[in-house]
Amino acid sequence: MSDSSTPEMVTIEVDGQELQGPAGAMLIELTDKACIDIPRFCYHDKLTIAANCRMCLVEVEKVPKPLPACATPIMEGMKVFTKSDKARMAQKGTMEFLLVNHPLDCPICDQGGECELQDLALGYGRDISRFSENKRVVADKDIGPLVATDMTRCIHCTRCVRFSEEIAGIRELGATGRGENTEIGIYIEGSMQSELSGNIIDLCPVGALTSKPFRFTARAWELVQQPSIAPHDSVGSNILVHARGSQIMRVVPDRNESINEVWISDRDRFSYEGIGSDDRLTTPRIKTNGVWHDVEWQVALQAVADGLRTTSADQLAAITSPTSTLEELYLAQKLMRALGSSNIDHRLRLGDVRDQDSAPAFPGLGCSIADLESLDAALVIGSNIRKDQPILAHRLRKASNAGAELHFINPVDFDFVFSVANRLIIGPAGMVGATAAVAAALLEANGKSVPADIRNLCTASEVDQGAKAIAGSLQQAPRSMVFLGAIAESHPDYSVLRSLACTIASECGGQCGYLPQSANSVGACLAGAQPHRGVGASTVSDSGRGLAALVEGGMSGCVLLGVEPEADCDDPAHVIAALEDCGFVVSMHAFTTETLEQVADVMLPIAAFGETSGTFVNAEGTWQSFSGVVPPRGDARPAWKVLRVLGNVLDVEGFEYESSEQVRDELHRACEGVGTDTSQHGNCYTTALDVGLMRVADVPIYSTDALVRRSPALQKTGDAASFLARISHAQAAQLGLSDGESVSVVQGDARQVCTVVTDTRVPESTVWLSCGTAKAAMLGASIGPVSLEKGSGEGML
Amino acid sequence: MMNAIKNYIKSLFLLELLRGLRLTLSRLFRRPFTIQYPDERAPQSGRFRGLHALRRYPNGEERCIACKLCEAVCPALAITIESEPREDGSRRTTKYEIDLLIVETRIFEYHFEERGKHVMTKEMLLEVGDKYEAELAADRATESAYR
Repeated sequence: MSDSSTPEMVTIEVDGQELQGPAGAMLIELTDKACIDIPRFCYHDKLTIAANCRMCLVEVEKVPKPLPACATPIMEGMKVFTKSDKARMAQKGTMEFLLVNHPLDCPICDQGGECELQDLALGYGRDISRFSENKRVVADKDIGPLVATDMTRCIHCTRCVRFSEEIAGIRELGATGRGENTEIGIYIEGSMQSELSGNIIDLCPVGALTSKPFRFTARAWELVQQPSIAPHDSVGSNILVHARGSQIMRVVPDRNESINEVWISDRDRFSYEGIGSDDRLTTPRIKTNGVWHDVEWQVALQAVADGLRTTSADQLAAITSPTSTLEELYLAQKLMRALGSSNIDHRLRLGDVRDQDSAPAFPGLGCSIADLESLDAALVIGSNIRKDQPILAHRLRKASNAGAELHFINPVDFDFVFSVANRLIIGPAGMVGATAAVAAALLEANGKSVPADIRNLCTASEVDQGAKAIAGSLQQAPRSMVFLGAIAESHPDYSVLRSLACTIASECGGQCGYLPQSANSVGACLAGAQPHRGVGASTVSDSGRGLAALVEGGMSGCVLLGVEPEADCDDPAHVIAALEDCGFVVSMHAFTTETLEQVADVMLPIAAFGETSGTFVNAEGTWQSFSGVVPPRGDARPAWKVLRVLGNVLDVEGFEYESSEQVRDELHRACEGVGTDTSQHGNCYTTALDVGLMRVADVPIYSTDALVRRSPALQKTGDAASFLARISHAQAAQLGLSDGESVSVVQGDARQVCTVVTDTRVPESTVWLSCGTAKAAMLGASIGPVSLEKGSGEGML
Repeated sequence: MMNAIKNYIKSLFLLELLRGLRLTLSRLFRRPFTIQYPDERAPQSGRFRGLHALRRYPNGEERCIACKLCEAVCPALAITIESEPREDGSRRTTKYEIDLLIVETRIFEYHFEERGKHVMTKEMLLEVGDKYEAELAADRATESAYR
């Protein structure tokens, strides 16, 4: 809608009040801005105009009939009356027709108390119904485990239909039939494919679409609302947490135009269910002779302090989760460094540390989230952005709809909800070659000679044509970006990809940015939770060992902060083995798992999402603080408090904080002037990957962190992790395998039986085997050589 | 001066006391208002609000659908309701408790012997409803003319 030239301003009069707006704007936009109330159902400022509910009819001077305010463009000198007898009569008439077929059983409806129809019926409805005929009844549709339907209540505003088409980008819902026989339905029964599907719950003005996990459990008036920040991806979506007593009942989006607009992903909306999971840890526990005992906090903290004190500093390590808050990460690293150890890491899924010293201060987006919309071209390397950061994918979709050309270099041809101009789908080893080919094509197009390093990497000649097309598009675009995604991060040649991406970005006059995976991936770098850099990503003299080095051995004391080794690490089996060899392991986590019970010696229960105050730094570098909404369960305590007291027990100086805000402010001062340039890179052009059959793994959307893995509703969706080896048809034919056959997947020493599925999205020499299942955790790194052996293999029934 | 003498005479001859005793004496010979409860009962209106009850439909289905409006409107915050979808998908209470500080049926004679027993659960309320259903239905039928 917004044109680069400023549109002509038009003056109109509404109820005697003079209003100004750009020509072509709809009447309702102006009245909303001026806080003049016009009733509506189908109009939504983020969706196209349908004008089918007719509730917003208003009187316009010299127009014989009332006009819908949502679909009437303003004109100079227009006189509008929103509360005249004529307007009121039209609105009341519409309401009467809407109520003809709407059930009048608000007490039984889950929307009761927060229903737009209920509210407006109070103002515009008749006291007594004149309709004595039978009301229509519509069969409910099964649209999956997240959204409950009550289709008899539907008033056909089509907000949900427009949402799925315009915002989610998948035509899933539609209206069939005419007149009274109109029904809203789903094309494929049983599940909605969109990862933003929960937003139709908020959009639905009546109780036709409601939240299934929340269904019938509470009323709007019982809930206490508190703002918070979504903890599952690096977007930092603004959310409102609704709690009743000490329980979080649901999560709804908050409006923040610069971050999530008005949408949140299903992951952010339904993950709260995991907080009360059965495996929640509620008391401190100590393992003596292999048996776990519940103990008092004092005893547990003393045991931790004794254990850490007796470990020599260079053998001491902390492995932290990038979903921890800024305060927790800062205190964890402060404690570690005070004890003389720099062995602290949060990069649990990093595949390559070769160029870590020349990497940017933090893996930021390189532009603001809102800026993604105005890109003209972008190259995304190794990312399933739609599932990794649904809100960022939505921004890219807006850019794509506005004409931006989006290009992808991926090891799997993921389904996107926007049009992709060029896609180079090639196995992990080929990704480097393809990226190098784009860089080479750009250098040539710019009339520069291609360095031998890059030339040598261009191995896959089949991508040359696509690479040239991408290079041309990036070069011509006024605003272009290159992004490195989650799969690039866990790639064994991440350094090479980074160097190439930065070369491409500088050659096309754009920026290189990152799509960080976790809520606080950026914050963890600022907090100093990495071995080679301190607070504010400053260089440190005594560089420690990162996770990759720690796994190799030489770790006798370890603090795990919010980490489930079997599910949060890129190479779980090796991390678990290293922790088993480690003499003393403390797990600070809200939950307990079998693996943690096996490797840990002390477990400290910490507060989960919604129970602690803290700060997340999102992909664009915005610091967003939030407070706790409900008290922690049982004896659990916010992790920053636990670390603070642990600091006192260990007699470490500078642990006298009284609030998490103090911790944050201290860190914020230390972070002043941190470089935001995301284009820094080393010059690493030696590939570490051999050619051959390679496994490639993504982290499925509902396996990313401890909370979503425990949300029953999310795990029932089609996006839940499954243990399948997906290969191309040609690959299957070459290996003599057929669809549905059982094979042994062998990765290093690990061997697991798995079902083969042929998938057209997988390129040659690649086995797509996602993380997120217990069996996948027993295999090796997410990207690495793999072999498929026919038959179930030995040791199996 | 006159007032002081008047008051002196009044108190000397206990005039005010005698005036009061005259009322007592006059009442002594009238028919008493007191009834011999519980042997005698005052008439009770069909609208009398005594002990609470949860009613059922004739087919045995609970009438309460957990709209929670009674919980919201109760000024004493005496009602606690928790709800969830029942197996058949309908909206039902899993917990319906009334702290018995106020009463709703025509039963008004009850007592508690222990602290905490004054909270009536959903089962207890349904039991009351089942026991007195005939009376409740009859009362409501009589009163329906005035509603």
